[in-house]
Amino acid sequence: MAIMKSINVVPGRCVGCLNCELACASRDWGQYFPAGSKINLVFFKSGGKVPVTCFQCNDAPCLKVCRTGALDRNEATGVISVNAQKCIGCRTCVSVCPFGNIAYRPSSSRVEKCDQCQGSPRCVAICPSGALTYTEDAGTSADRRRKFAQSLLEASQES
Amino acid sequence: MNEPSQYLGPMIKGTIDGLSITVRPGTVLLNAARTLGIHIPTLCHHEGLPPDGNCRLCVSQVGGRLVASCIYPLTADGFQAQTDNERIRYARSLVIALMLIRAPEAPVVVALAREYGVTEQPRLRRVTADGCLRCGRCVRACLTGGAEAVSLVGRGTARIVTGPFFEPPPDCVGCLSCARMCPTGIIGFTELFDRRQIWGRNFQLVPCPTCGRPWATEEELARLNADRLCPACRRRAMAEAISSCPTEN
Repeated sequence: MAIMKSINVVPGRCVGCLNCELACASRDWGQYFPAGSKINLVFFKSGGKVPVTCFQCNDAPCLKVCRTGALDRNEATGVISVNAQKCIGCRTCVSVCPFGNIAYRPSSSRVEKCDQCQGSPRCVAICPSGALTYTEDAGTSADRRRKFAQSLLEASQES
Repeated sequence: MNEPSQYLGPMIKGTIDGLSITVRPGTVLLNAARTLGIHIPTLCHHEGLPPDGNCRLCVSQVGGRLVASCIYPLTADGFQAQTDNERIRYARSLVIALMLIRAPEAPVVVALAREYGVTEQPRLRRVTADGCLRCGRCVRACLTGGAEAVSLVGRGTARIVTGPFFEPPPDCVGCLSCARMCPTGIIGFTELFDRRQIWGRNFQLVPCPTCGRPWATEEELARLNADRLCPACRRRAMAEAISSCPTEN
């Protein structure tokens, strides 16, 4: 199986600068138009900020319900992308996405979703604080495992 | 659609506008031409819907025959297709002249008429200019979407798109796919606050239980057994779940 990369979020690192939204929107719209972004920052009253975008689910509901073949998964990368030529704008995928990460654009009568910029996501490239990372699925957990092991090592050396 | 990606059987060779091409038997002429970068005008064709050959605008020539290229499968080795010559342009002009009677104001038809130098021909004026070309793209969108609410009814000049018994279609879920697929944009719908109206049906939009924004019809959600939360609130709920989990900084 090919190595599949994903956009990972570390919410504690997000500073809420909205650069990811702007970088995403500027690719398709040529201008800073956050409403056209496929990554979205959610702000909470507690001060929390979480950037969210499509997770490219393994058992993706959007892919299951698409009856025109407009949504298609690239088997090599695992990324689901929209073929605008085939989309009829029925919004069924919007209704079934459990995370609200596929959006209907009235201006084009098509749906839009994150396609990870064909392997080099702009949101990750522009993220100044490292809240967004683009790694193999195993990468993030390996990092955390190592960090936790490090803290154990330090604790044992202190005692 | 739904074609197996792997095909190891024999291929067939032929030419389109003098350019040679090798295709899998059964490949539709339009798709073969498009892989060569040859432009064939289409109107009722849509890549996400099954081809139907209704509008006849994509008419091309294979051997000595005029065929609708969107539904003409290439099966014989050594086919010789042409997509643009005097005879084809004449056939397309007639098709456009007929369209011009039905939908004289539709931008797509006006653009085609200008491209082919077609003007309105009074001798063809036997039908009402109701803006509908009877191309059936809305019907195929409805069929593909699974609602099967509207269909083409009647024959010849009396043909219209309607629900069963010329009444508002009971199976319509109000997804508006038909209106978005209509090449002339004649399928009317209104969307005001929490109301949506199409094909004479009135739909009440379901308000999101969290933010109250009306976003989809009851019928759409019932068909999909979907969550009533609107997409923005689902995103928020998921973001909240992520932020409440302990993670490194």
